Amino acid sequence: MTPPSITDLAIRYGFLVLMAGLIIVFSMLRPAFLSPQSAVFILQSVAITGILALGVTATLVVDGFDLSIGAVATSALMLSAYVMVIWEMGAVAAVVLCLLMGAGVGLINGLLIVKMRVPDLLATLGMMFLLVGLQRIPTQGNSISTGMVLPDGSAAEGTFAPGFLMLGRHRIDFVIEDLVPLSVVFLIVIAVLTWVFLELTRHGRVMYAIGSNAQAAALAGINVGRYRIAAYMISGVMASIGGILLAARLGRGDVASGNNLLLDSVAAALIGFAVLGAARPNAFGTAIGALFVGILLQGLTMLNAPYYTQDFIKGAVLVVALVFTFALSGRVGRARA
Amino acid sequence: MISRRTFAALATGVALVPGLALAQGAPAPFDNPGQVDIALVRYLSTGDFFQAYLSGVEKQAAALGVNLQVFDSRQDAALQADMVDQAIALGVDGIIIQHGLTESMQEAAQRAVDAGIKVVAFDVNVENPAIPQVEQSDAALAQLALDQAIADHGTEWVAGFVHVAGIAPLDRRAAVWEAVKTANPGIEEVAMFGTLDNPIANSVANQARSVLSANPNIQVMFAPYDEFAKGVKIAVDEAGMTGQVSIYSADVSTADIQLMREPGSAWKATAATNPAVVGEVSVRTLALLLAGEDPGAQVIVPPTLITQAMLNDADIKNMEELGAKLPAFAHADVAMAPWMTLPPR
Repeated sequence: MTPPSITDLAIRYGFLVLMAGLIIVFSMLRPAFLSPQSAVFILQSVAITGILALGVTATLVVDGFDLSIGAVATSALMLSAYVMVIWEMGAVAAVVLCLLMGAGVGLINGLLIVKMRVPDLLATLGMMFLLVGLQRIPTQGNSISTGMVLPDGSAAEGTFAPGFLMLGRHRIDFVIEDLVPLSVVFLIVIAVLTWVFLELTRHGRVMYAIGSNAQAAALAGINVGRYRIAAYMISGVMASIGGILLAARLGRGDVASGNNLLLDSVAAALIGFAVLGAARPNAFGTAIGALFVGILLQGLTMLNAPYYTQDFIKGAVLVVALVFTFALSGRVGRARA
Repeated sequence: MISRRTFAALATGVALVPGLALAQGAPAPFDNPGQVDIALVRYLSTGDFFQAYLSGVEKQAAALGVNLQVFDSRQDAALQADMVDQAIALGVDGIIIQHGLTESMQEAAQRAVDAGIKVVAFDVNVENPAIPQVEQSDAALAQLALDQAIADHGTEWVAGFVHVAGIAPLDRRAAVWEAVKTANPGIEEVAMFGTLDNPIANSVANQARSVLSANPNIQVMFAPYDEFAKGVKIAVDEAGMTGQVSIYSADVSTADIQLMREPGSAWKATAATNPAVVGEVSVRTLALLLAGEDPGAQVIVPPTLITQAMLNDADIKNMEELGAKLPAFAHADVAMAPWMTLPPR
């Protein structure tokens, strides 16, 4: 065996080296960057987009795409607020209804794509618009918060349940007191579960097989349609988890389109293609991609860089990552996505 | 918000019985308001502020008894100009242009004026002497909030400033901040950040966390837009710095009132104009024009200072109670005429 060439090494480890370099530069410029609080905070800032990105990864694996995740997340945000503030139900009901909503939206997306043969981008684009509108109908476009006046003239008495707010705000003692927020725990658990599911189980390998050649997979006796529907349901549920965490952090039902959530999480999943030279969607890469964006934004904010330079750098990172994936790795990646 | 359903019923009732809600002796054309058609052409519509603005426009239009048609371009500048042309083609008597871009609206507004239609602009400068500007004074908003910060903390403190350049109302608020800093050299700005990434509060919270860990000595955060303030408050709470950072902002909503009233909340004060009142003033300004009276080139809706103490003392829980208990907030005495009927409170 010949030793790996410089190019091979660059493709495999280039991104991780770049990330380490960023951490060193930022901590030299701003010593506060290297504190444990700062590290945990970076994880917290990427928890929501990271979870959404892992959902997108599941659809990318089966050669699909889910544009509706941002809208599913903000719908879950509005739904959980509606359940608790207006219906005055508890945290469990809110979480369960949101997860069901996410799974339901994923199921409809999957059925549209598999049974109705609507192209994935179009089906989920339609779903995105539908949800952005739907979530505003019950409150006529207003945000939901305790004390808001209802159509019958009374004020909404319900509050966000403390147990629900904990999901986004509670911190676990880890070495330092009150260090790790629950949302970070969710991110790590979901990332590990997704990685195990995609890389180590038969189901995951079947999904990759469908993604590289659906016809061959079907001929091998795999129920391709069912797996693709399942991928969209995974994506919908993950997006609703992201929405729940967002609601728990904000503590109110905020009217928002979720487009930035969509773009950030898709960027994380695409950057993930380049990590370790995988050149395909993968859970580990997605998590690293999300983290990479989080580190960049945290560092740049500490240096008082305005938002447009941050957008610019985010875009530049994405372009470089895509070049890593599609050109340098020599393998022909999927033409789309 | 005031019930839209009740309002719709009211509006229909008024439309069915023209002149019912009228004060006596109104000038033409308000002696027969059922024949008066006005159009609201919107550029921005998503969010609590714009929702409340619309409800103010609807209520004042209903109180006057005129017919209102709403065009919503949803941040499409070209479409907004087309909608003005559409309103001209429909033969409306008056048009309110709500936000938009000077470049795209200037000519459309001129076409409306040429067609003999009375036009009022809210928060957009269409550079036309025939068109009065309704404005909430961003400078006064920022000044009120900063005066309160100086009253609370003196003139020597370390500050963080949340700002996104290029957004006209935010730029006007930032100009006041610069002036206050120049006048008070003891105020040291160590960080400036801000983003309009949606959901704004969440994105700003992420940034504010970085800023607070890089600058743990910050005492005052000036966040002159309530979504910014909400984000900063989340970050301050998460960083466990609630006791040592004070937040001053602009704008208010029911959710903001809840946050300001949390025990020990870092959000000390906000300055705001009631968006519903701004909507009412827009309609009244147009009505003055239609009746042949002169509202002046600029109609400014004065802001109100709202402090945490005021909210707690009067036990104010939402926007309706704020309007009821702070009369300055419920009604602005501008663009008024004796013959005008105000919306019921």
